[in-house]
Amino acid sequence: MSDPTATQDLIKGAGEPTASPVAVRGDRRSLWRDTWDILKRRKIFWISFVMLIVFLLMAAFPTLFTHKDPEYATLAKSMEGPSADAWFGYDLQGRDVFARSVYGARTSIIVGVLATLATVLLGGLTGVLAAYFGRWIDAVVSRVGEMFLGLPYVLGAIIILGTVTPAQSNPGKAMIMAVVIIVLALLGWPILMRIARSAVIQAKHQDYVQAARALGAGPLRLIFRHLLPNSLAPILVYTTITIGSYIGAEATLSLLGIGLRPPVISWGIAIADHASYMRTGAHALLFPAAFLSLCVLTFVMLGEAVRDALDPKLR
Amino acid sequence: MGRYAIRRLLQLVPVVLGTTFIINYMVWQLPGDPFAGRCGQRPCPDSYITAMREQFGLDQPILVQYWNFLKNLLTGNFGTDFNGVSVATQLGDAWPITIRLALMAVAFEAIIGIGAGVLSGLKRGGFVDNVVTVSTLVLLSLPIFVTGYLLQWILGVQLHIIEPTVSDAATVPELIVPALVLASLNMAFTARLTRTSIVENLRADYVRTAVAKGLSNRRVVAIHLLRNSLIPVLTFLGTEVGSLMSGAIITEGIFNIHGIGGLLWRAINGQDYTIVVPVATLLVLVYLVSNLLVDLLYGVLDPRIRYE
Amino acid sequence: MTEVLSEQMGRGSHGGALLEVDNLHVEFRTRAGVAKAVNGVTYSVDAGETLAVLGESGSGKSVTAQTIMGILDMPPGKITGGEIRFRGVDLLKLPDDQRRKIRGEGISMVFQDALSALNPVFPVGWQIAEMFRMHRGTSRADAKKMAVELMDRVRIPAAKERVNDFPHQFSGGMRQRIMIAMAIALDPEILIADEPTTALDVTVQAQIMGLLAELQRDSNMGLILITHDLGVVADVADKIAVMYGGRIVENAPVHDLYRDPAHPYSKGLLESIPRVDQKGQELYAIKGLPPNLLEMPTGCAFHPRCPYRRDNCVTDVPPLYTISGTRGSACHYWREVIDEGER
Repeated sequence: MSDPTATQDLIKGAGEPTASPVAVRGDRRSLWRDTWDILKRRKIFWISFVMLIVFLLMAAFPTLFTHKDPEYATLAKSMEGPSADAWFGYDLQGRDVFARSVYGARTSIIVGVLATLATVLLGGLTGVLAAYFGRWIDAVVSRVGEMFLGLPYVLGAIIILGTVTPAQSNPGKAMIMAVVIIVLALLGWPILMRIARSAVIQAKHQDYVQAARALGAGPLRLIFRHLLPNSLAPILVYTTITIGSYIGAEATLSLLGIGLRPPVISWGIAIADHASYMRTGAHALLFPAAFLSLCVLTFVMLGEAVRDALDPKLR
Repeated sequence: MGRYAIRRLLQLVPVVLGTTFIINYMVWQLPGDPFAGRCGQRPCPDSYITAMREQFGLDQPILVQYWNFLKNLLTGNFGTDFNGVSVATQLGDAWPITIRLALMAVAFEAIIGIGAGVLSGLKRGGFVDNVVTVSTLVLLSLPIFVTGYLLQWILGVQLHIIEPTVSDAATVPELIVPALVLASLNMAFTARLTRTSIVENLRADYVRTAVAKGLSNRRVVAIHLLRNSLIPVLTFLGTEVGSLMSGAIITEGIFNIHGIGGLLWRAINGQDYTIVVPVATLLVLVYLVSNLLVDLLYGVLDPRIRYE
Repeated sequence: MTEVLSEQMGRGSHGGALLEVDNLHVEFRTRAGVAKAVNGVTYSVDAGETLAVLGESGSGKSVTAQTIMGILDMPPGKITGGEIRFRGVDLLKLPDDQRRKIRGEGISMVFQDALSALNPVFPVGWQIAEMFRMHRGTSRADAKKMAVELMDRVRIPAAKERVNDFPHQFSGGMRQRIMIAMAIALDPEILIADEPTTALDVTVQAQIMGLLAELQRDSNMGLILITHDLGVVADVADKIAVMYGGRIVENAPVHDLYRDPAHPYSKGLLESIPRVDQKGQELYAIKGLPPNLLEMPTGCAFHPRCPYRRDNCVTDVPPLYTISGTRGSACHYWREVIDEGER
């Protein structure tokens, strides 16, 4: 998924209705238990769960999967195809494609998870505030959100990244990743803001919230005890799918040469570097692409399972 | 309806101003040097930068620059790129190709996406449904560029069914594969949305009424069920016309198509922001206007929506 | 009814009533288990006759009606036994296309909630006209004129101006009139009204019931009136079938049932209607909850809530005892129930 904004439609059905069962039952534990009961019966959940564990292990302990050094280059072996020695063959610089694919997982997952986290914090906070206080705060937040949504994703990223870290500059690894994470969050927050906002607006008018307010609960307590839990289910669904789409988006930006770049090891960079060698050595292109797609698939499937479990309406 | 349209149009104005301002500000004002790439690997001489800054009005206050930009936008004067070629001419050459590509993509999304969605929604749990569910899942997981390179490699390099790159003329047959690639993600979304919508409406009371009226199955599905189920789907297709433009940047880059996206792709690689700003502005306008049209279309499709 | 069909179905030549439901069994197969929604229901309606089917939700009254119409969702629904004879022909054995022709022309149905039962995106006139266009091949223009006439007939004011309006632009009562107009468009012989007034205000309820009764008189239809509200049926029904737990527990001419109910459940229903002469007394309510269709009580389904319960009620399913030619009660102790009279 190179366009995370599209995921809002995937969960469109889930976004709003999921809020109500929590509110109506008022018994949160039973909702989560129901969800778990449904989840554990779903094949798609267990498949994605196993895949997730594999990718997480790969990100945390790449040496479990390969003993080769991803930076070690033997130019003589440039673009050599798969063999018993190197399962996926060698890339343009003669580095082991398998090792680089394994090490790429860490980058992608870090970027995907952190960018999602930043999106949730930024979007969730603005959404809850806009819905809770309403009036001009709501108006301003909503308009600003629209402006960012008006910027097509790739386009927005191109504009920001192209100027903040132009190709000539030489930032460090952490800096490169931080910039990409911030940009993804900056362009993605309005969708989450909308989800949180509509969930809270719905909950705000529920009797029990009105009652809590009448009993003198302060705004902070209202937000954290009563309103936020209500937007949790739709946010959780969106979050899972978003990690996947951010991983795809990161790769897309890296492909365009404005996202990650060496010395960072990333699937997107590997694909970009070898796209023009498709005729002579497709392996250097296809294997990273397969890793990337499987990783995105993991989160898409997981998100799907979670959505199905949380939203009885779509079952 | 007329008044609603005007009001929505007026609401659009601040969003357009805000977005274009963001674009302008980011491109020209953020830290980083917009001319850094002009002189190869070494830094440009100060005299060159000063001259360029003057030529593109960067020495003036930001609001004045923005005002000039708006004036130029309204008069269709997009200036020249760093090489002195008129931006308007380049846009004029590129637009028709992108429009052709986008229209083909939308057609694929609608025909294949809706078709697959209807078939799988009507027979839930059937063979077709399982095939559609799995294949949309796969499509959703493939970033557009992966799909693009994959098809280019299989169909172009391995099987020689297509030319890996598209010629300057960009004829309709040449654009079939790129349009499919561009459409792939939204096609999957469309299929899923259609399926959900069909499944939901299948249980609706009015469908039961239609059966009780003694209508044929075909009429119940084709007239009563579809007419209702397709409302959200058509809305989705409309909203996504704008974001297709993002995908077009990638697709046109991969297949070397000389459309708007390809223009932008090459401008980014050449760091020529004189093209980035007007192209980005145009794409944003397309996005916003298509959203507005969808909003109005929604009222036509669903009589329950009332504009006040 | 097209000529061919009515001949084929032998109009008037068979012995029974116009519509006969005979020992019908319907189940729902769900993940949680098999729910027996209808367990051997038998009733009949003749031309010009009104049968009220009474019961709370889950009693199987609507499922029976949907089975007659052939609009039961299958799966999860499954017809496991019985016959539904219309003019002596078993509808359940008819091929789909013949069955379809009977819907709307022979048997027609009015639903509870007209707002959701009417298609939201088509004008009401179009939806009525569709009956003529699809069944009779009438031209668009003629069908629309006929739709306006029908809207006049069900007394929708300014029908001509409103024929192109959409369902949401009408009030609840007017929408139900449109639903009725659509149902009677082809002069069906049987009209099934499934809780036609439940979603409406009390004053409007009376108007709609009056309209249904009048239309029935005018065209000599057989009317099946499904309701949970005894008060609604007293004036219009000829006979009543009371359903509980998927069975008919009592059937009787309407006045007999009102005078001396022969089943504890019907009796409980009657006593829970508020009455002017009992002002100040506590209102009677049947104790307990409706049965769970997945785990039906053994013996008589009503026994957990029954004040007349004896030991054999828990073990033996009561058959429908014949009280007189037109009356029946599925209670082992129906004599006691009748004799005791009002508590």
